[in-house]
Amino acid sequence: MVNILVSGTLRGGMYVLIALGLALVYGVMKIPNFAHGEYYLIGAYAAYYAFAVFGWSPTISVIFAALVGFVCGAIIEKITFAPLRKRNTGDWVTNAFMIGAGIQLIIQNGAQYIFSANYFGVEKLWDGNFKIGSFNISYDRLIAFGIAMVTVAVFWLFLKKTKTGISILAVADDETGAMLMGVDIKKIHTITYALSCMLAALAGGALLSITPAYPTMGTAPNLAAWFTVILVGVGNLSAVVVGGFMVGLIEVASTYLLGAQWQSVVSLSVIILILLFKPNGLFGRKAKV
Amino acid sequence: MNSFKTLYTKANRPLQKVGLSPISVVAFILVSLFPLISPNEYYTRLGVTCMLWGTLAMGFDFSIGYINVSNWGYAALMGSGAYVSALLNRYFDLSPWLGFIAGAAVAALLGLLIALLTMKMDTMFAALLAWFVGIVLQNIIAATPEITRGSMGLNVKVLFAGGQSGKYYFYTMFAICLVTFCILRIIVNSKYGLSFRALGQDIEAAKAVGISPLKYRTLNFVISCAIAGIVGAFYGHYVGVLAPTTLGTKNVVQILVLAYIGGRGSIWGPLLAGFILMPIFESMNNLVEIKYIIYGAVLVISMIFFPGGICKLPTKVKELWEHRSSNAARS
Repeated sequence: MVNILVSGTLRGGMYVLIALGLALVYGVMKIPNFAHGEYYLIGAYAAYYAFAVFGWSPTISVIFAALVGFVCGAIIEKITFAPLRKRNTGDWVTNAFMIGAGIQLIIQNGAQYIFSANYFGVEKLWDGNFKIGSFNISYDRLIAFGIAMVTVAVFWLFLKKTKTGISILAVADDETGAMLMGVDIKKIHTITYALSCMLAALAGGALLSITPAYPTMGTAPNLAAWFTVILVGVGNLSAVVVGGFMVGLIEVASTYLLGAQWQSVVSLSVIILILLFKPNGLFGRKAKV
Repeated sequence: MNSFKTLYTKANRPLQKVGLSPISVVAFILVSLFPLISPNEYYTRLGVTCMLWGTLAMGFDFSIGYINVSNWGYAALMGSGAYVSALLNRYFDLSPWLGFIAGAAVAALLGLLIALLTMKMDTMFAALLAWFVGIVLQNIIAATPEITRGSMGLNVKVLFAGGQSGKYYFYTMFAICLVTFCILRIIVNSKYGLSFRALGQDIEAAKAVGISPLKYRTLNFVISCAIAGIVGAFYGHYVGVLAPTTLGTKNVVQILVLAYIGGRGSIWGPLLAGFILMPIFESMNNLVEIKYIIYGAVLVISMIFFPGGICKLPTKVKELWEHRSSNAARS
């Protein structure tokens, strides 16, 4: 029982980090970013190279992963979503979804082409163990969780206290209004997308010792992040923090009780129930169509 | 020139009732002659592949081009049709021909479930739920190897045995393709098609004139899923082996690329794209990852720069022509 609670919470912390970026991008830019899991992948490969190949210290490796994620996100936003926004005809959400799918395909198969389908893992980023009763937790997991929580807190402060953060929230709230107030929409879009990618890449880097880097590693976090966002209601940023932990606990509990192959069935059942009874999510605010 | 035009309109009227036009009739007749001139078995089978993916792309286009729902579980629905038909054949000895109907029915039921849950909301949810369902179906198949043989792959009894069976497959697929094309064209040109278009373009306005999103979108989605099921059942008995990866997103992307290059909202565009692009895609099979990178790049580039696809080309050419002739008249 303690077992489930502890590993569920630790896993949930990471989901918070990943889902937060997804919810942010949807809230601000109305992009259902199907490629979100791929930035997790980028982070994992970057951290692997920094740690195992260049021999940098774990902390710097994780920061490096986040930076690579940020830069990749900014570049991809500039060459795909920005021109699409200018020339878009028809439904933006569907079109953006398709672009995300294309990016996912390119990154996933690009990774397979460059790095082959092998696993790139490291045994440990940080050494040591921590004991709760009879249950061992490695420092790796604990520190990764700590990084996640600190990042979420810092990110929250960034959104609420800095000028850029407030601009991001303003654009999410009312794009035209923000533009009239002199907010540079294009810049905010790029920054938002890049930040969201940074969060995912950070998670990928911090979890390197637990999930090694391989080409299709992005699918599981992508799924979990979407699960979180649908669970709490699309575009609801603060509730994502609660939702991430819930998803982590649900996944770990179902894996523990029913076996790994049935875990996704449980997740789907939960989603169906949510869509049936609370289509706006558990903490959804306004009713949509 | 003028007499040709009257002839065309004369021929067009009765044909339109069954969803065809003179051009498509000629095209279909040409396609049906292909096995007679095809130099060997390989090309006949390539023709089957073209029609198979083209038909799937038509079904996909029926959703994305009209009600704006990208069915991200299209391969999963196709795969479920394939597995249902194959398993019924394996355990209950059901004839593959009835299996086609069973496959279509199961895929339609799955589609109905997805549609009823999500069609009241943003179209994004339908895409996401279909994606989830696809992943879950893959996991279920992989988790029950005692029934489905899991990821080892299920051997399916083929429809026609023998080395020279290509043309039988060709005509079976040709029949499915033709019927699908006619049915979809009839629906699209009816008042239902108009409602679908209205919902896809402006949902608020459509609701204001009394078009129920739930009803029409569900109808559309279920038809599109049934097509995936029937083609999937054929696919299983044609290829002869099924694995959970059949249901994966890689197949969705293949369909998606065809539908987007062909152009959304035309039905004939995706089918034509199937004939033009599938031979190219098939010849790239040994490139493995690069093939999918090209898919992704093609998808992104065509989304941004050529959102109309092939089906907008005739209008574009016509516009250019009229522009030129009006210029010539002026000078």
